[in-house]
Amino acid sequence: MTGYVIRRLLWIIPVLWAVATITFFLMHAVPGGPFDQDKQLPQVIIDNLNRRYHLDQPLWQQYVNYLWDISHGDLGLSFRGDRDVSDLIGRGFFVTAQLGMLAFLFAVVIGVGLGVIAALNQNGPGDYAGVFFATIGASVPNFVAATFLIILFAIELPWFKIAGWGGPGSFSDIFHSSEYDLKKMVLPVISLGLLPAAYIARVTRASMLEVLRQDYIRTAKSKGLAEYVVILRHTVKNAMIPVLTILGPIFAFLVTGSFIIETAFAIPGVGRAFIDAVRIRDYAMIMGSTLFFALIVAVMNLLVDILYGAVDPRIRYG
Amino acid sequence: MTFLKPWRYLLLPLLAVAAVAAFSACGDDDSGATKTPSAAADEAAPADQQKVVMHSVEPQYFDPQRSNFEQDIAIERMLFRGLYQLEATADGGVKAVPAMAAADPTVSADGLTFTVKLKAGLKWSDGQVLTAQHFVDGVTRGCDATVASPYAYLLQSEDQGGILGLKGCDEAQAAKTPAEQTAANAALGIKATDATTVTVTTLTPKLALTFVQIFSLWVTFPARLDLITKFADKWTDPGNIAVNGPYTLTAFTPKDNVVLKPNPNWALSPKPKLQQLTIKFIDDTETAFRQYQTGELDQARIPEPEVVTAKADPKLSKELLVVGSARITAIEMQMNNEVLSKFNVRLALSRAIDRDTLVKVVYDDVNLAAEYWMVKGLPGFQGRDKFKSVIGFDATAAKKALADAGYPNGQGFPTLRFTIIDCVTCKAMAEFLQKNWKDILGININIEIVDSKTRSQRFNTKNFDLFPGGWQLDYPDPENPLVGLFNTGGGNNKYECSDPAIDKAMADAAKATTVDAHIKAYQAVEDLVVTKLCGIAPIFQGALPYLVNPKLGGVKANGTIDAGQPGNWCAECWFVKKQ
Repeated sequence: MTGYVIRRLLWIIPVLWAVATITFFLMHAVPGGPFDQDKQLPQVIIDNLNRRYHLDQPLWQQYVNYLWDISHGDLGLSFRGDRDVSDLIGRGFFVTAQLGMLAFLFAVVIGVGLGVIAALNQNGPGDYAGVFFATIGASVPNFVAATFLIILFAIELPWFKIAGWGGPGSFSDIFHSSEYDLKKMVLPVISLGLLPAAYIARVTRASMLEVLRQDYIRTAKSKGLAEYVVILRHTVKNAMIPVLTILGPIFAFLVTGSFIIETAFAIPGVGRAFIDAVRIRDYAMIMGSTLFFALIVAVMNLLVDILYGAVDPRIRYG
Repeated sequence: MTFLKPWRYLLLPLLAVAAVAAFSACGDDDSGATKTPSAAADEAAPADQQKVVMHSVEPQYFDPQRSNFEQDIAIERMLFRGLYQLEATADGGVKAVPAMAAADPTVSADGLTFTVKLKAGLKWSDGQVLTAQHFVDGVTRGCDATVASPYAYLLQSEDQGGILGLKGCDEAQAAKTPAEQTAANAALGIKATDATTVTVTTLTPKLALTFVQIFSLWVTFPARLDLITKFADKWTDPGNIAVNGPYTLTAFTPKDNVVLKPNPNWALSPKPKLQQLTIKFIDDTETAFRQYQTGELDQARIPEPEVVTAKADPKLSKELLVVGSARITAIEMQMNNEVLSKFNVRLALSRAIDRDTLVKVVYDDVNLAAEYWMVKGLPGFQGRDKFKSVIGFDATAAKKALADAGYPNGQGFPTLRFTIIDCVTCKAMAEFLQKNWKDILGININIEIVDSKTRSQRFNTKNFDLFPGGWQLDYPDPENPLVGLFNTGGGNNKYECSDPAIDKAMADAAKATTVDAHIKAYQAVEDLVVTKLCGIAPIFQGALPYLVNPKLGGVKANGTIDAGQPGNWCAECWFVKKQ
């Protein structure tokens, strides 16, 4: 097991190198640079800006310098305000992670709950309600859901706020109660968690139905076990393996930020920062964000693979 | 059926969400401050001058010499102030008045040297005395190549596409080594002859008008080299920064907001009334509109399509403020293109544009239809009538012009590209024009949608046919929308306008020795540019729709000089009204 984890961790290095290389050259191949604007700056000023950010060097040299810098943990400076990219990603991720984890919690609780209800009540009202939710959740884009929720629950019924995030902005603030505002948390969490909740509900329902038809469930029931024991100990636990498979990518998806939700609620998260970086060709921020996302996805995949072993004893690590 | 019982536990999260909603709905309001009698007639008590939240796009810098965009400048005007400042006049015009300067500059007989005395008793927010040397340091940074100021051109010579022609600035911009830089900076034509006197030398004679306008702009704001040396790029962080403007920077959260409080050492009048001004960074105006509706913003720029929504709402309609901007939008035509190089083709395209209907249909009458290039609000503004009969909408004249160009009813006319960015009104405008030109002229236009950086790159490399562009004033002088844009080889002349008559008129205008002659000379340039459609066909003057909370007073909007927020040119004038 330890050897397996170490091997997988070491594999992350070439993966990150490949992501860095592809992103670096694609980024420079895209038309338009950071200092392109309709009201063009005089050439001497563009030259000075390029020199300041070392963009006057040949591309291969910029690439080599970048690899050298990131190998020393230096992600560079953002063209937006010369702020440290690591700091910007750290700040953004701290907020995005809170949003993502709450949305993940919402999605798991609602998704698994509805999936189980639907499966246990197949072709009954609970099933129809669960399928209805899953269909709506999967087919309504989150910007539509966010807009709908904002209009209904923030404008027409002024229950919630929508200006920014209601959690702490930095780690040092997590024990300051003044940093928390539940009113600002509810709508972005629901908007972001709706689609994954629907997906989880569908997978849970299908998996539960399959497990409920297994011989060992029939055996457990015939041995006189209480219904809730059969459901919780034998059915739900075994039905969770396919669900677990999708939870890793869903978690990675949620904690790496949603540009749409962060924009709709003006949340200072890393998802919005990444899209902004692409829009203004903030090369250092694009590279830093991409590498960070790649790292999160790689680590989440590893964690899921490890969790398989905990849930399914048939799985062994060589 | 016993399975049903455990399910109920699964409803708990839903109940929890509902409970949070109900609890939150009963929460405290933020506005519960104690009221005390106010001194001024319509101003609320100082205790109520709190928590005003404005909207802005996130700035890049709070460093005046490094700034390039409106959102940066909007906040820098609150934090810093130059020797002069642009002020709105009662008649809707603009004038530059002394700010840190005690009076207008003294100009030498040859028009090359300007001497400015500072007001007495000026201080930075940290208590240090504001001296003439700080202004010298600010301008020196503006010219310094290592700072790479995007607006250095305002200080450079005409030869380099610049305006003021500060002596030595071109050399400082061209410096390649630290030694060259140090020498060039030391040789700049700006000196502090004593603690309160700044002397500026230009390469060619300049009008006092030009001088005071340039020295009201951010690139000439004073700088604190001691802080810049100590904190390097972090000198503008809260806690590090010292300012000489009406507000100080007390908190900054990237992507989220900035918090300003009054500068206790602000010596000018009026003193800021707002005890805390929060500026939220919201890139999407639709999001800002929603947040204004929930009461979380006191001012918001809203998208043009929502003006109809605001007008239809009894409450919002009273809070809607549409401010004419200092931007003219035009169809820019690449004159290197064989077809577009023909005057009659450009005339046909211009005369086939029904500007009034375009503004009504696409922009809900927010913008002003225009055939002029120098915007309303600018000294020398000439209005529509003069140009409408020459290049304005006339379907018959448009058809005739196209036939005269050799393309009767559009026969043989090639398909041209119309390059736009992906935005709702951009696409609506492009489709409107595409239909106008098809219906009236019988020609086809391909709409090409790209992202903004690609579009800029295409424009700057002259790789376009038709392009909805224009010009946003940097400062309210008639030379600003003309110099460099229409003279042969001008830095922003991407449509390749090259006309000897325009070049001559431009050269003559540069020699004007009085303000009146200066204005008249540039009006003559505008006449030539517009009637010859030299790369541009103006279509409308933009306007900016805002919603402003009626509790907010002192908002003196002037689109010619505002940046970011209505009345931004005098943020110290804002206050909360008595309820």
